[in-house]
Amino acid sequence: MANVIASQSSAALTFDLVARCSTTRARASILTLPHGTVQLPIFMPVATQASLKGLTPEQLEETGCRLCLNNTYHLGLKPGQDVLAAIGGAHKLQGWNHNILTDSGGFQMVSLLSLATVTEEGVRFLSPHDRTPMLLTPEHSISLQNTIGSDIMMQLDDVIVTTSPDKARMQEAMERSVRWLDRCIAAHQNPTTQNLFCIIQGGLDLEMRRDCCREMVARDTPGIAIGGLSGGEAKADFCRVVATCTELLPELKPRYVMGIGYPEDLVVSVALGADMFDCVWPTRTARFGNAITKNGVLNIKNSKYAIDFGPIEEGCGCICCRKGEGGIGVTRAFVHHNTSKETVSAHLLSIHNVWYQLQLMRDVRTAIIDDRYPAFLRQFFADIYPDKAQYPDWAVGALQGVGVDLLAD
Amino acid sequence: MSGEMDGELPFRVLKPATSDGALARLGRLELPGRKSLDTPNFFGVTSRGAIPHLTPDTILKYTQTNGVYMALEDFVEKSGKRATPALFTSPTDADGRRLHSYTATPSDVTIVLGPRRHPAVVSPGGNGATYVSICTSTGFQSLDMERYCNSVATVKPDVVIPLADLTFGPGISSAKRQRRMVERTEEWVEAFFKTLDPQEVLKPAGIHAFAPLLPVEYPMQWEYLNRLSEDHAHHLSGLAVYDANILADLQQHKPLVDLPRLSMDPPASPHHILRQVRMGVDVLTIPFLNSISDQGIALTFSFPPSQTEDGRILPLGLNMWLKEHQVSLSPLVEGCSCYACTKHHRAFLQHLLNAKEMLGWNLLQIHNLHVMTQFFEAIRVAIADGSFEEKARDFARAYDPELPLGTGEPPRSRGYHFKSIANQPKINEPPWQALEGDKGEDQVLAGEIAGLVVTGHSAVGGETPLVPDADADAADLDQSGFAEVEKSA
Repeated sequence: MANVIASQSSAALTFDLVARCSTTRARASILTLPHGTVQLPIFMPVATQASLKGLTPEQLEETGCRLCLNNTYHLGLKPGQDVLAAIGGAHKLQGWNHNILTDSGGFQMVSLLSLATVTEEGVRFLSPHDRTPMLLTPEHSISLQNTIGSDIMMQLDDVIVTTSPDKARMQEAMERSVRWLDRCIAAHQNPTTQNLFCIIQGGLDLEMRRDCCREMVARDTPGIAIGGLSGGEAKADFCRVVATCTELLPELKPRYVMGIGYPEDLVVSVALGADMFDCVWPTRTARFGNAITKNGVLNIKNSKYAIDFGPIEEGCGCICCRKGEGGIGVTRAFVHHNTSKETVSAHLLSIHNVWYQLQLMRDVRTAIIDDRYPAFLRQFFADIYPDKAQYPDWAVGALQGVGVDLLAD
Repeated sequence: MSGEMDGELPFRVLKPATSDGALARLGRLELPGRKSLDTPNFFGVTSRGAIPHLTPDTILKYTQTNGVYMALEDFVEKSGKRATPALFTSPTDADGRRLHSYTATPSDVTIVLGPRRHPAVVSPGGNGATYVSICTSTGFQSLDMERYCNSVATVKPDVVIPLADLTFGPGISSAKRQRRMVERTEEWVEAFFKTLDPQEVLKPAGIHAFAPLLPVEYPMQWEYLNRLSEDHAHHLSGLAVYDANILADLQQHKPLVDLPRLSMDPPASPHHILRQVRMGVDVLTIPFLNSISDQGIALTFSFPPSQTEDGRILPLGLNMWLKEHQVSLSPLVEGCSCYACTKHHRAFLQHLLNAKEMLGWNLLQIHNLHVMTQFFEAIRVAIADGSFEEKARDFARAYDPELPLGTGEPPRSRGYHFKSIANQPKINEPPWQALEGDKGEDQVLAGEIAGLVVTGHSAVGGETPLVPDADADAADLDQSGFAEVEKSA
């Protein structure tokens, strides 16, 4: 275990910085939450409805996961706040004694409900059946998340797609998100057992992002999220926003980039100074027969895998790929045999993919602690792309900005 | 192992049936390298080599699976890309077998191979004089004796059921069809042992043949049983019983009596399981376990039955969809020691079903397999101490005659091998209406079934349901805490 360089605590969270990359902005740290300790940088799988797509909590645990997501919007629908209150929260509902992070529910509400509109009061929408006007306020979102009992709660924010050209609306959304944070903080019932993170907004406008950072940081939440990304913006723009924000954020607080999950995005974002990530992609893509490997994504549905009797990924340590004690030793051929035919194949690929993502972050962390993260990055891209000419420009550019030249020999 | 080589049976009757008509018996099946199996007991039923919803680690950790039934038709779909099925080129285990490693089945689990799924769908082409019609994920095929034997020799299952000319439609087939079934099966069993010589091929490979007993009346198949007992009994390691009623008359064929009896007669409920045990079945296959889990039912029965307070009839299972479970932190069944009951609670199960999360089916499979394991353990104890008949009568009095139905949507809507549960009308036409000589390829049907998923609920491959139910009133949403009704409105 590396020595702690510096620490900072709030009522329900301790952040211990253990290593800084001497080249990039990457850092390794330990985050202590009400349900135990997690090591950053971290990838958090998404158990949307209090279950990670067919996996038992023990299978999720076995991937090394100690912090997963639940979606407030979905839990508010099923089983509902009254049921959650009666049961005693989401940990108890799903038999998960580790940490849970919940989003605010606002993003899904705006994007999924017809005629949802955002007003200063909250998100307005019509109930699907009787078309009664309804409202999700910052206070209500926090009340829901207090009932869920998540270790990390997210503020309700006013999310606009980053690519929106309407600068005035973007400015309004950013400022409203700050005002809503104040309402969330005021509504928060359990500050000693649950952490409330703010969310930086401001689209792709770097000046607006800087303004938002200053406002949000002043409110001193135990952790800080960078929101509004992963909405189809150019990757280079995404990187600029992350780099701009991390530059202004206090060093001794966790930084969470929401909705990010492709391996390349993860390793680059870590180099830009981010610590926490979540995405449904690893489990979603598993259900379509895709396996994430260090050499890229393999579609196991492809007929060439029917007679491929190797593991999903050679050398992988997940229970699916491992042989012998505690390992299943499943082959690509068998996963292919049942892809989109039996749920078992989806389960196996979900286990593998989640393990891959978590192992990637464990490797990232070790590389940061050993202060060889630039070399790690070069190897990571070399494993995916046989030729440097194929390296994505955005990644090359973003990493150049933090002192790593992927194209150098 | 050495007993095998000496020509001894892998099965021993530990407590034979008594002469007074109670045919339940105790035994032990010991196949080389596999778990020793005390009988009566049951084997799991797989779909495409997997017990539905359960990954191999879950099977090992949370179930006591002793054996599984697999169907060759689940592995031999035609492909433009491959001349031979992938299974046949799979690496072999240390003992030369392929099914365990291909399907990642735990190595101590016995694998029984038969031609068709259990239960099988009716294939419109019907069987021919030299082949059975099978249903694969890419369409119907005919499977003849030679191909079946070659497949068996290649994959080397622990137990194989030779081809039989079975029909799978509802109702009773005509006497003519039944006679043909017996005649063909007799020929086919003969041919099976000619092609796969018991001494030269089967024994060295450790493949145990369980001869099919047919689902027709005794007078119709007694000659066939005679042939089995006179010509083949010494080649046989067991019997695959497609209608348990025949066992009453088996006593007249002494060489067959001590063979283990694997029932391929799907019981509709635990009452039928007890009935089969009473008739002398040693190992059951129970397809309703898979379908009941998919329907959201947690089995609740035990043997002997738990006391009822007021003589009330007890249900055999609990519908986990019911709203009354929503906030219940009780285990599915009080006192149950399975993983689902000790780690989780009714509220979570209800939520998972309601939210169409796959984990719900997974947990129900674990629980239901556990209930069945306990059931058989208690049956063996009762047979040993002579109380089986009495307890079976108590059981019949105490419990509902039928399994309850789930009220929600199960994961399998339809698929290329749509499985109907026992006693439910089949979706396809009965096969004996098809003309002889038909190649068994219904182009329209084959085309329609190709590409349909097996575990086919759209939500499995798709995304989490995203909007409130269409019938959700604002008042419901407000009360459940999803959002609040606007005060000013």
